[in-house]
Amino acid sequence: MSVFSAILIGILMGTVFGFALEKSRVFEPGMIVGQMQLRNFIMLKVFLTAVAVGALVLAVMTSMGWASLHPKGALYVADVIGGLILGAGIALAGACPGTVLAQIGAGYRDALFVLAGGIAGATFYGYLDPVLAPLLKTLDAGKITFADSFGLPYWFLAVLLAVLIGVVLFILEKVSPWRVEMGADVDGDLAP
Amino acid sequence: MTGNIFQSKSWSPYAAGIVIGLLQIPAFLLIETALGASSSYVTIGALLSGIWDGDLSGNSYLLKHAATTGKNWWQVALVLGIALGAFISMRLSGARRKAISPIWARTLGTSRPAARYALAFGAGFLMLFGARIADGCTSGHGLSGVAQLSIGSTVAVAAMFAGGIATALLVLRRI
Repeated sequence: MSVFSAILIGILMGTVFGFALEKSRVFEPGMIVGQMQLRNFIMLKVFLTAVAVGALVLAVMTSMGWASLHPKGALYVADVIGGLILGAGIALAGACPGTVLAQIGAGYRDALFVLAGGIAGATFYGYLDPVLAPLLKTLDAGKITFADSFGLPYWFLAVLLAVLIGVVLFILEKVSPWRVEMGADVDGDLAP
Repeated sequence: MTGNIFQSKSWSPYAAGIVIGLLQIPAFLLIETALGASSSYVTIGALLSGIWDGDLSGNSYLLKHAATTGKNWWQVALVLGIALGAFISMRLSGARRKAISPIWARTLGTSRPAARYALAFGAGFLMLFGARIADGCTSGHGLSGVAQLSIGSTVAVAAMFAGGIATALLVLRRI
């Protein structure tokens, strides 16, 4: 596929992605901070639903031989240290690397600063990669999945994961209904 | 709430999650990769660095991300599309946002825009520095990695929530 076609597909897919992110309100700083303060679960609901649907479509596509999985390598030290730093950044930004673009589209001006800081941080890592990779990207367990380690077919565990997520979401929705979590201005701000 | 679903201000998180999950189909079939967002920051950063560092100091990580490949530029287009899609959705529903979300004044204890902008820059820096160490973010490790049952991605997502929850509870004020 040409780079031009890839860009065209990317813009189309991104537009759908951004549309869904905006409608779900998960891009709102109030939703992200509320999730991390464990008082608002819109982020978890969108995230787990997308994971469950992704697992189901991948179960079908891999079983039919239409696609193969592309799991990332398990680099435990880098995954934990990088994940902790990323999580701290998400809480303070009130956004993820993807949803900050939805914030910009919806009109949040501080998101431009998150974006600029993100480009600087990614570039800073890039220049330090020759030093940091040998230190942090150790304990390489390879591109392993739970299907490999349990010796079970991927499709079976993927369906099992989707069912488990369904149960968790059913209970979560009973405990904390999404319409309440939206807030008066659909921004997750539940202040009186 | 008026008109059709495109004009509504909010969808159920389950409806939106289904749409996002289905995006794995074109990603795997057409681009032969999984949904992700954070690599695109390196591509743009490397492109900008190229202005004053023409050969990117021979850094293979930056050169790899700056290469004119379908995958690199698909992801840049994807994140730009996210801004476009959110803009279209916001225009259709009329849910225009203020320059800064009202939650920040409460959670930071100051309503000075400069304070929020400075923190936003630092937060963005941390976010992508961490994502590049972990080799993925909420999309690549989260949506895609967990759906593929990747063990490394599951560990990374657990660490993201641990870091996020600790920061939000200890550093930020209750919103």
